[in-house]
Amino acid sequence: MAIRDDFEVAAAQVRAAVQRFALGLLVIAAFGAMLVGKADTVLVEHARVLALDLASPVLEAIARPVAAANRAIADLKEFASLREENARLREENARLLAWQTAAQRLENENDGLRGLANFREGPEASFITARIVGDSVSAYVRGALLNVGRKAGVAPGQAVVTGEGLAGRIAEVGDNSARVLFVTDVNSRLPVLIERTRERAILAGDNSSQLRLTLLQSVAGVQRGDRIITSGHGGSFPVGIPIGEVVETGEGRVRVRPFADFSRLEFVRVVDYGVSGLVSGAGSSAPSTPSGVAGQRVR
Amino acid sequence: MKADGVLAALDRWGRATLPGAVLLFFVLLTLAPLRAPYLSDALPLLPALVVYQFSLATPERLPGPLLLVMGILLDLLLGGPGAPVGVSALGFVLIRAAVVANRRYLVGVPFLFQWFGFGLLVWGFVVLVWSLTALFTWTAVDPVPAMIQYVVVVVIYPLLAPLLARVRARDPLNVPEPSRGTARPGETSP
Repeated sequence: MAIRDDFEVAAAQVRAAVQRFALGLLVIAAFGAMLVGKADTVLVEHARVLALDLASPVLEAIARPVAAANRAIADLKEFASLREENARLREENARLLAWQTAAQRLENENDGLRGLANFREGPEASFITARIVGDSVSAYVRGALLNVGRKAGVAPGQAVVTGEGLAGRIAEVGDNSARVLFVTDVNSRLPVLIERTRERAILAGDNSSQLRLTLLQSVAGVQRGDRIITSGHGGSFPVGIPIGEVVETGEGRVRVRPFADFSRLEFVRVVDYGVSGLVSGAGSSAPSTPSGVAGQRVR
Repeated sequence: MKADGVLAALDRWGRATLPGAVLLFFVLLTLAPLRAPYLSDALPLLPALVVYQFSLATPERLPGPLLLVMGILLDLLLGGPGAPVGVSALGFVLIRAAVVANRRYLVGVPFLFQWFGFGLLVWGFVVLVWSLTALFTWTAVDPVPAMIQYVVVVVIYPLLAPLLARVRARDPLNVPEPSRGTARPGETSP
């Protein structure tokens, strides 16, 4: 009897040891994954793209109900301020109509002057419309997943815009999916122009809702309300996409509020500028000819 | 054991895979573009909640290797460029180990204790992920969004946990031997 008890105790000890060993193995495996990810970025890139492509059909299936839920939430919020919203929109409409007249006049004038000066415009951009099927928003990333990929002509480095302005750039591309890195992400750096002074600067994200303007020749020239636009330097972005406006200046620190409303993005447009600039990521293959499967191509 | 019918086999199979499936669902839900204020902030921590809750109820149906795979999948799907892959996996495995080791304080105790335990363990999870992310990207990551995530998920816990706990009540033997751990029936409950 005592021998049997001893045996059971020993067996239990062995079992406990194996279990403890299993935990150690798992911890080592997790650290191994981290180190492999740090050492072999190309492998991780492939794994990410594979995971994206596998997950995107599932995400697309749940994107519609989620969008419906979002709309319901937004509707509820808007009901409360319908009257003020209407008044604001009427006022804005009147202002925009005046601007439209001005824009038409300027466009005609511009066309005429370009004809006179024999000005050659840069490559023409085409757009790929995409639905946002997933957010990759956490405490550490600001981004989203799109339902278009290499098959629709999406390539890393392309600009992603909304109706209001620049949202971000394409970071990773799968066959039928792509990841956008928003301008607010901590890894985002953009060459920009201050529209009023034509001064160059770098616009950087820091995972908060506002952007940071750095590397200015003179911070003093920036005023609140100045619009920030893409400068086109680096080659992969068209010139003049609006990004945001300056909301805070002071002590060498300029904050910019992006025009794009990241809290209600549903559809975005990927701008195919036809040039693969410096930004196109290492190891990414060239985009194949667009077959127009998932994305809709418009001029 | 007598031979079971197809239905019974299916039922057993369903029971065995349910926690894993729920975890996979929450991993994918992390990416859902939900715009509900506050709730969408907490989505990335919900898989950790599922891991905690199922480790309490049925750890044998959520084995460590599965947690490793799910954690790596979550990191691959969520992470931006440069973010370490495998941090969540490490966190999940450690949460499970901590729960299994402390079952006597967490199983069969008032809900408030479980909530407190969750708050404690997820705090560890958040700190782990934050510090490893900061270490691997070698930048001073702003801790405030991570804190907001933490607070929201701790507040959400009482809403979600009873739902997930139902998986245990449906178990035919109620509490299987490995889940009971060192706790004896009635030992810690009043």
